[in-house]
Amino acid sequence: MDAIKRYVRSPAAVLGLVLLLGIIAMAISAGHVYPRDPLALAGRPLIWPFSNPRFLLGTDNSGRDIAAQIFYGARISLLIGGAATLIAIAIGILVGALAGFYGGWVDTVLMRITEAFQTLPNFVLLLVLVAVFGSTLTTVTIAVGVVSWPAPARLTRAEFLSLRNREFVQAGRTLGMKDAQLILGEILPNALPPVIVYASVVMAVAILLESALAFLRLSDPNVASWGNLIGLGRDVLRVQWYVSAIPGIAILVTVLAVSLVGQGLNDALNPRLRGR
Amino acid sequence: MRILSLAGRRLAASIPTLVLILIGVFLLLQFAPGDTVDAMMAQMGGGDAATARELRRFYGLDLSVPAQLGNYLWRLIRLDLGFSSIYGKPVATVILERLPPTILLMTASLSFAFFFGLVFGVIAARQFNKWPDTLISTLGLIFYATPSFWFGLMAIVVFSIYLQWLPAGGFEDIGAVQSGVFRILDIARHLILPTLTLGLIFLAIYLRIMRASMLEVLNLDFVRTARAKGLDETRVVTRHVLRNAMLPMVTLIGLQAGTMLGGSVVVESVFSLPGLGRLAYESVIQRDLNTLLGIVFVSALLVIVVNFIVDLLYARLDPRISMEG
Amino acid sequence: MDLTRLDISRRTALLTSAAIAANVVNPLRAFAQETPRKGGVFNVHYGAEQRQLNPSIQASTGVYIIGGKIQENLVDLDANGQPVGVLAESWEASPDGKTVTFKLRKGISWHDGKPFTSDDVAFTAMQMWKKILNYGSTLQLFLTSVDTPDPQTAIFRYERPMPLNLLLRALPDLGYVSAKHLYENGDIRQNPTNLAPVGTGPFKFVKYERGQYIIADRNPDYWRPNAPYLDRIVWRVITDRAAAAAQMEAGELHYSPFSGLTISDMARLSKDKRFTVSTRGNEGNARTNTLEFNFRRKELSDIRVRQAIAHAINVPFFIDNFLGEFARIGTGPIPSTSTDFYPGPNTPQYTYDKTKAAALLDEAGFKPGAGGTRFSLRLLPAPWGEDISLWSTFIQQSLSEVGIPVEIVRNDGGGFLKQVYDEHAFDLATGWHQYRNDPAVSTTVWYRSGQPKGAPWTNQWGWDDARVDKTIDDAATEIDPVKRKALYAEFDKAVTTELPVWMPIEQIFVTVITAKARNHSNTPRWGSTSWHDLWLSA
Repeated sequence: MDAIKRYVRSPAAVLGLVLLLGIIAMAISAGHVYPRDPLALAGRPLIWPFSNPRFLLGTDNSGRDIAAQIFYGARISLLIGGAATLIAIAIGILVGALAGFYGGWVDTVLMRITEAFQTLPNFVLLLVLVAVFGSTLTTVTIAVGVVSWPAPARLTRAEFLSLRNREFVQAGRTLGMKDAQLILGEILPNALPPVIVYASVVMAVAILLESALAFLRLSDPNVASWGNLIGLGRDVLRVQWYVSAIPGIAILVTVLAVSLVGQGLNDALNPRLRGR
Repeated sequence: MRILSLAGRRLAASIPTLVLILIGVFLLLQFAPGDTVDAMMAQMGGGDAATARELRRFYGLDLSVPAQLGNYLWRLIRLDLGFSSIYGKPVATVILERLPPTILLMTASLSFAFFFGLVFGVIAARQFNKWPDTLISTLGLIFYATPSFWFGLMAIVVFSIYLQWLPAGGFEDIGAVQSGVFRILDIARHLILPTLTLGLIFLAIYLRIMRASMLEVLNLDFVRTARAKGLDETRVVTRHVLRNAMLPMVTLIGLQAGTMLGGSVVVESVFSLPGLGRLAYESVIQRDLNTLLGIVFVSALLVIVVNFIVDLLYARLDPRISMEG
Repeated sequence: MDLTRLDISRRTALLTSAAIAANVVNPLRAFAQETPRKGGVFNVHYGAEQRQLNPSIQASTGVYIIGGKIQENLVDLDANGQPVGVLAESWEASPDGKTVTFKLRKGISWHDGKPFTSDDVAFTAMQMWKKILNYGSTLQLFLTSVDTPDPQTAIFRYERPMPLNLLLRALPDLGYVSAKHLYENGDIRQNPTNLAPVGTGPFKFVKYERGQYIIADRNPDYWRPNAPYLDRIVWRVITDRAAAAAQMEAGELHYSPFSGLTISDMARLSKDKRFTVSTRGNEGNARTNTLEFNFRRKELSDIRVRQAIAHAINVPFFIDNFLGEFARIGTGPIPSTSTDFYPGPNTPQYTYDKTKAAALLDEAGFKPGAGGTRFSLRLLPAPWGEDISLWSTFIQQSLSEVGIPVEIVRNDGGGFLKQVYDEHAFDLATGWHQYRNDPAVSTTVWYRSGQPKGAPWTNQWGWDDARVDKTIDDAATEIDPVKRKALYAEFDKAVTTELPVWMPIEQIFVTVITAKARNHSNTPRWGSTSWHDLWLSA
């Protein structure tokens, strides 16, 4: 297919894909490479990277193996990134589709709600949600998803607004198709591509939001996440800066990978850039 | 006059949104475990039940939730933001005190991000697919992917501790009492690292948008026409392309205003800046409902105002767009 | 100035403080020979902003660090930890213990010029200490009145005997005096003076820029001759501990009190000649790390399970590897720094023994099930310290090795207090117990039954023991110091055997201060005292 060919022609996009696959590989193989609980006491705290063959990346201030936490942390970041993105996209598509398709007062009400969420600084809302519902993995994921849905909603709505008056939709109507069929069967498949591409942005932001929460010590302490490690490393930043630096780089690479893939998809699926 | 009436109408249209936000946050915080008295007890390091009861009565927390909400909304209509339980001062006073650092930080970061995003975006677009473009785009992505707090901490380690070029935090030098130009320079010095930290992500975003936008416009008919007419390339870019390419950038400012305030929470905490972001964080932790709602109200207003200005700018940049539409 | 002599003296001080002697180390001879330098600005790290600055209505180090320089107490502690008069010159208790008479110093005036009299003491005691001050209300529960026959005499009348040494031990923290003429009208809590305090102390309040700094200047009319030496004190609000350490190293801060920096930074700066890092001067602020058990969980109500949990955690390893030189093994709720009440190390100890722990758990009937799990627990750590966070992780790691998976539940300050002490929604909790010079002030409430639901740092475990209650009550009203000490020794033994709350780690706050400071850390609660003799060398 054309799109795939266009995608692989861009070195940046390929790099992104390779990195992302690498991170996914880390997540999958974590159990094999590091069979012990990554949060268990592995050795003395604050061992430097490369100084002890048992701990390739050293240990953190609780005596836990940093390399193990990087591997297992990949799971958490991908999980939170993925799940939160799914939640945000799902809510966004629902709201946007209904608003764009029906228009009128449905649109007005839904857009007011969307505007409300967008006007409220999303990090403040995140803080409030975490203060109310706690800091477990589930609540953090849902909270991040909940603060991220307005942009996909607007995007979907814009697509629906432009597509709902097209001929194929009119045709469907004359054929007696019900609203639900029209929305799900006809319009949505055409509206999805830009939203899917935007999903990469949502995912990148979701990963960054979770790490910011962990930095403020508001995330789930019972899982090995990169953000938690950065937060922990804050206390030893001056000398053992690697405790914060290593997971920071991991986040950077992941977000980079996701963004590159998203950009690659955008360029590949966007016909207007053809011929460059 | 037209602008004023437009502004008025825009504000009126935003009222439902504002009320929705305030009620939403108010109700949400009711479910948080512990109230402002519990937070106070935590701070005091001790306390007995009688004290707690007294304090709850004092802060009006012994009323029912609908009654509290009603009280709050009624005060709001009279533009009274209430009393802050943490600071013992009216919320309006507290917010006004903390507003300047945040506004300064946001303006500086926005300007930094917009200006450099513009410049580098144009360069990248002009040198499309050549090495300057690749370099700029890669750097942009790296900035985008870097967690801001991590960058801030590393910046402190490098610039404040090892190089000792810049202060490690705070808004201004307290020891020496300064005024006028010196004070401004001192504050500016303190804001360099925070601005860089907060602005870096937005720089990356503006860069990308500008580049994409320029690429699109550079290909449009009227540009080809201008080139065909024999107009010098720089003139083509500055007079025709830029104006149109900037439209998405300007829109973005409106969308990013809220995100920036959120980002300032972390930056203000790392650099010990006495701004609204940290105030918001503290009021969530201490369950100071009035202050939190006050901040939400003010920041929502800020976003609405910024969006309004953005729309005005948009209309000026693109005459095809009418404000009424 | 012989710098090498000073350096060696400092190292000696560090070593002795690491051993945490029971007595306060006397101010070293070397410094007594220097002439104090007048002048200078002292910059203090202020890590957590308080809601107000008046120590008469809030008992916490976060208030004393500022309010204690502006307002003064009736009595303070001297270098040896013994009560010494500040606003009070002398005192006398009646034989039945129901009357304590204070003779106040003459010629003292408030910062606004009005004279300080016994009326101020009476007003503060009855309206603030008794009604508003946390822990003050418990201490002064049986205070019925304060008579003021003349401006220099205040007679405290109690309906039950008040042990004099309890009162004198508690007054340094719970005995700050406020000006009656500024508070007598209106609501005390709402009074704006709370944010712009007026006192009799060596420094006068100048300015409070919320979120940034507080400034106080030298009081030229201070009643002590030739005091204070400093011109000005500036407290800088810096919430991020790494940033505070950076500012200390950049020379922008002189002093970080009460373990205000991270453990790793404190360890690093202790090797830096520009700074003095020690626990000296904080012996009055000893605290213990707790492990609180919720008896409402069937498993935890069995003493064998609690003992097993204690045996499963390697406390010495934790202290050595994570807390460094600033902590030591605790022996119970009364810390070793308490010269008057420490009963000695002969209370039951729980040495690290995983086999014994497993055996106890088996014996109690909780054998490992599928996947080696016996039962799981939820642990709520208090959010106020790096050490608490490390300790809770260590508990989680240790208990998982004996088949008890632990889930850590994070909360912010208000949420933590609510969940643990009000809703009892915890299995295990860990935080700090602050010992305030006398067990009756803030220690026995952790064990005495009958505490109202929702009162933080009190017995909310669902445990009570009538025998322990009686011992506590008797000791609170026992006038003979020897008998009192014996009663508290009995109390200590009983609670370390029953283990409703385990207090295995003892810590003293750490001071990080510039090597240029003189006359610092010379009393057991130095960070909270008035600093009238503090000076900075060139």
